[in-house]
Amino acid sequence: MQEFLQQVVSGLATGGIFASLALALVLIYNAMGLVNFAQGEMAMFATFIALVLIDRGLNYWIALPVTLIIAFAGGVLIQRIVIRPVERAPVLTLVIVTLGLATLVNGMAGFLFGYVPHSFPTPFSAQTVNIFGALASYQDLGVIAVSGVVLVLIYLLLQRTTLGLALRAASHHPDASRLLGIRVSWMLALGWGLASAVGAVSGLLAAPILLLQPNMMQTVIIYAFAAAVLGGIESPLGAVVGGLIVGVTVNLAGAYVPGVGGDLQLAVAFAIIIAVLVLKPNGLFGRAGVRRV
Amino acid sequence: MGALLELEGVRCGYGQTRVLHGVSLSVGEGDIVSLLGANGAGKTTTLRAITGGLRWDGSITFAGRSLKHLGTEDIVRLGIAHVPEGRGVLTELTVDENLRLGVYLRRDSTSFARDYDRVFELFPILRERRRLSASTLSGGEQQMLALARVLLMRPKLVLLDEPSLGLAPMVVRSIFEVIRTINQTDGVAVLLVEQNARIALELSAHAYVLEVGRVAVEGPSSELKGEESVRRSYLGY
Repeated sequence: MQEFLQQVVSGLATGGIFASLALALVLIYNAMGLVNFAQGEMAMFATFIALVLIDRGLNYWIALPVTLIIAFAGGVLIQRIVIRPVERAPVLTLVIVTLGLATLVNGMAGFLFGYVPHSFPTPFSAQTVNIFGALASYQDLGVIAVSGVVLVLIYLLLQRTTLGLALRAASHHPDASRLLGIRVSWMLALGWGLASAVGAVSGLLAAPILLLQPNMMQTVIIYAFAAAVLGGIESPLGAVVGGLIVGVTVNLAGAYVPGVGGDLQLAVAFAIIIAVLVLKPNGLFGRAGVRRV
Repeated sequence: MGALLELEGVRCGYGQTRVLHGVSLSVGEGDIVSLLGANGAGKTTTLRAITGGLRWDGSITFAGRSLKHLGTEDIVRLGIAHVPEGRGVLTELTVDENLRLGVYLRRDSTSFARDYDRVFELFPILRERRRLSASTLSGGEQQMLALARVLLMRPKLVLLDEPSLGLAPMVVRSIFEVIRTINQTDGVAVLLVEQNARIALELSAHAYVLEVGRVAVEGPSSELKGEESVRRSYLGY
């Protein structure tokens, strides 16, 4: 029982990382109706920026917000420069553009920082603390806390502020929003900035565990896809819950299902994606694809 | 008094297909003007041209200012509210959130509360349903929500695209009562597109009848209503 609880806590920490990236995917999915395949690479690049800042002697807790601001600005810029010219293009065009963006960002990271894995600092100690008989590491609890705070902030922004309201309006109903005076194109850029910043959080939290190198996020993004699909691709809350479920499931499967540990964990993510698509295509929090006309 | 909205020789269309072949009309401050005509005559297209929904040639001015190179958001910011076909209700959001978007552009935050009270007085049903998703509203309630939002926007001119579409006659009557109220107490000018010519002519002072992208007849509503030939050939009642 004790070990089971430990696996759950550790799963929640992994889940927090998945949830952040899944939320980034959902934010952009809502804004343009497709998944941003470059999301993981953008997160990885932001993490390299954080590493540069920390190597220059910046405190982790200062480097974190600075990195998120840079990631936000980068997301806005990418939307303005790369996405905006093809905003109204068919979905397939946009898919190719985001795939190209992923390759570009990955290559740029390799060119600038090399392919040798870098260790990434963590502000949390590896010591453990006893919670109800289960041993949880400060590292895991810290990851849960940081991703939790970020997700709550995003929730408050989207649900409690006028800006968030305009963002949601613009992403779901661009034409009707324009008629209310909302600058839809800028809202989409803002959505990209927000997604980029949230994604960067997942990169920063994953790096101490996975070691930072240009391909670091390539498996993480598959788990994030699984989380977003499980939550119902359009729902920010679903992405978070989905992320936690995927994190815990993968962790438990790795620990208790013979043969899954290590290499086959990714297969669990695919199994979740397939199961959701077959059994409940709209996910846990998704709306059915019917609309009143 | 100069016209608030003035269209002169407006031509536009979708791709290769020309829909408007030179439409001229004007709406004075505080006027209610009807734009009538059969399906496909270009009524909706005219409204879309005004708020920048498609490119056009000719001239459109609002309060003396050309709308030629302005985007939809900027045109709306000048004081034109447009309730499009399908009412423009944001069904992913709640009723309250829809109303809050009505004051999105306003900077005079002090008078919001008073305007909210007034809106709920006019539409008690919306107060009851504040927290519900707008998608749960009936067609008539959605139309009321759209009009309530217009009231909160405090525009100088409102463009209404078929407010009666798909609604029961009783509901249509109350909707048109509200339009009259918006016009009389707030002094908002109205450009009303309608299939239901009879009720539109009762409300408006002046009317234009479009036929395949041109103004076929225009005049005071009372005269158009009275002329047998106009009624038979263009208004269908």
